[in-house]
Amino acid sequence: MMTPSRRALAAILAKDLRTELRTLQSLPAMALFAVTTFVIFRFGLDRTSLSGDLAAGVLWATLLFAAILGVNRLFVAEREEGGFDAIRLAPIDRTALFAAKAAALLVYLVALELVVVPVFALFFLDSAAALAPLAAVLLLADLGLAATGTLVSSMAVNSRARDLLAPLVLLPLAVPLSIAATGAAEPLLAAGGPSYERFGTWLAVLGLYDLIFLLVGYAVFDFLLED
Amino acid sequence: MYGKGLKPLSIATVAALAVSLSLVFFYAPLDADQGFVQKIFYLHVPLAIVALLGFVAGGVFAILHLRSGDARWDAYSYVSIHMSVIFGVAVLATGSIWAKASWGHWWVWDEPTLVSFLIVFLMYATYYPFRYAIEDRDRQARYASVFAIVAGAFVPLNFTAVRLAESLVHPRVFATTGGGLPGEMMLTFLASLAAIGLLWVTLVKFELTAKSASGQLKRLRRALDAPAPGGSSRVAPEVG
Amino acid sequence: MPALPLEEAGKYVAGAYVVFAALIVVYVAIMAAKLQRIERELRELARFAEQGSPGTPGREAEDVPVDSAQPPADSDRNLTPSESVGGAAERVRGGS
Repeated sequence: MMTPSRRALAAILAKDLRTELRTLQSLPAMALFAVTTFVIFRFGLDRTSLSGDLAAGVLWATLLFAAILGVNRLFVAEREEGGFDAIRLAPIDRTALFAAKAAALLVYLVALELVVVPVFALFFLDSAAALAPLAAVLLLADLGLAATGTLVSSMAVNSRARDLLAPLVLLPLAVPLSIAATGAAEPLLAAGGPSYERFGTWLAVLGLYDLIFLLVGYAVFDFLLED
Repeated sequence: MYGKGLKPLSIATVAALAVSLSLVFFYAPLDADQGFVQKIFYLHVPLAIVALLGFVAGGVFAILHLRSGDARWDAYSYVSIHMSVIFGVAVLATGSIWAKASWGHWWVWDEPTLVSFLIVFLMYATYYPFRYAIEDRDRQARYASVFAIVAGAFVPLNFTAVRLAESLVHPRVFATTGGGLPGEMMLTFLASLAAIGLLWVTLVKFELTAKSASGQLKRLRRALDAPAPGGSSRVAPEVG
Repeated sequence: MPALPLEEAGKYVAGAYVVFAALIVVYVAIMAAKLQRIERELRELARFAEQGSPGTPGREAEDVPVDSAQPPADSDRNLTPSESVGGAAERVRGGS
């Protein structure tokens, strides 16, 4: 059933995706950034193949930093084109904006991973067996990043030094997420083949993180849009 | 009036600190494993507990601020977080000294509580650059409250995640926490906890009073139409 | 890991408590600086209010710290800010 809020949500989401598809700006740039980072890791760690903890760490760190590049751009368009005012004036639930932005960020992150993870496997992994369960882990992690990234970005956009502020605040916030994501990924990427050691535990932590920050975002977002 | 009650509170704090220090050095028995070094436990752990409670308080005050719009709650939130960050420095410093004495290294990644605390500290340390980067005062207060709430939700998640990440191979360094403290140690610990708690409250009240005085000063200045003094143009939270 | 002998252990324990004490003192020092600034601004404002005219209050020669003539601030006396500023202004006028 299309309530006004849901219609608004769909409209904002469509607008963001349309803008992104039209300009195709940040996605290729983020992907390029990630692939170049892999090359740097190859030389920095002096390794041509990775497994286990190193693989999980390199993959997650790279994705996280690429995500931060995307987060910075999330609300810039709104701020510059006065989109915030339009949304404030519209008689809809403002949390529709939160849901829409978080969904857009999620879509960006998933699209990014669709490119970056196969490249990672190509560069560093011996087999692609782990990729399917890894996708599940990354999806849950992306959801958490989408929630916190949207929250932080919406606060940072109204500040001075906003390019520094979003990463500064987002990184510590992403630590539990990072611990859980790499905790699950490490046995998956083990040299002998994927192992599911503590897989359930880590997925539960990821799920808990997602739930908590989606709820918190839903609860506080109104206060961020007040003039 | 923030300063009201500050004197009796300070006296109580001094007395509590004196009592707890006496208990630590003259009453509590020597630990069988760690020896004299264990005495740091009576300082480090209460500091950590009080700091964490302070962060939680900051989050609660933030919720009250957003619900009521009363700037006083924002001031309480700001000062609570400020004081807990300062106590956090003390936690990390004493923790590091304890690690060096027990384990030979100034930092150990094996102690999950200390590591979790470091991450929480890093999170709350970003509160200041974040806050001062927002120029509009009302917005600054609102966003800071949102931050305090998000960070408050973050704390338990963080401790859980770090604890789960703890390798099952490495033994815990600080094995005294929990695990059955003998009676005399428990009493000493509780006395220290009470003293550090009182210290936190006293210093918070102290800082609120100073902020209030600054706020009254600004108000007076505005009422008299007096020119502003030279000084920092930073937009800081005001207590009216 | 065996426990350290008492002499060595003592240094670490002392170090921890010293760090704790030092932090408290540093905090008090910072608050003292803040308090000094408040006192200075209050004095300026009082002078400004007494003059009753707009204009930047200049730094006059009499603006010498009167602490030598005055006993150190005593919390037992419960001086309100206006009292102590007024009192200080009186003493300065009488003295110069």
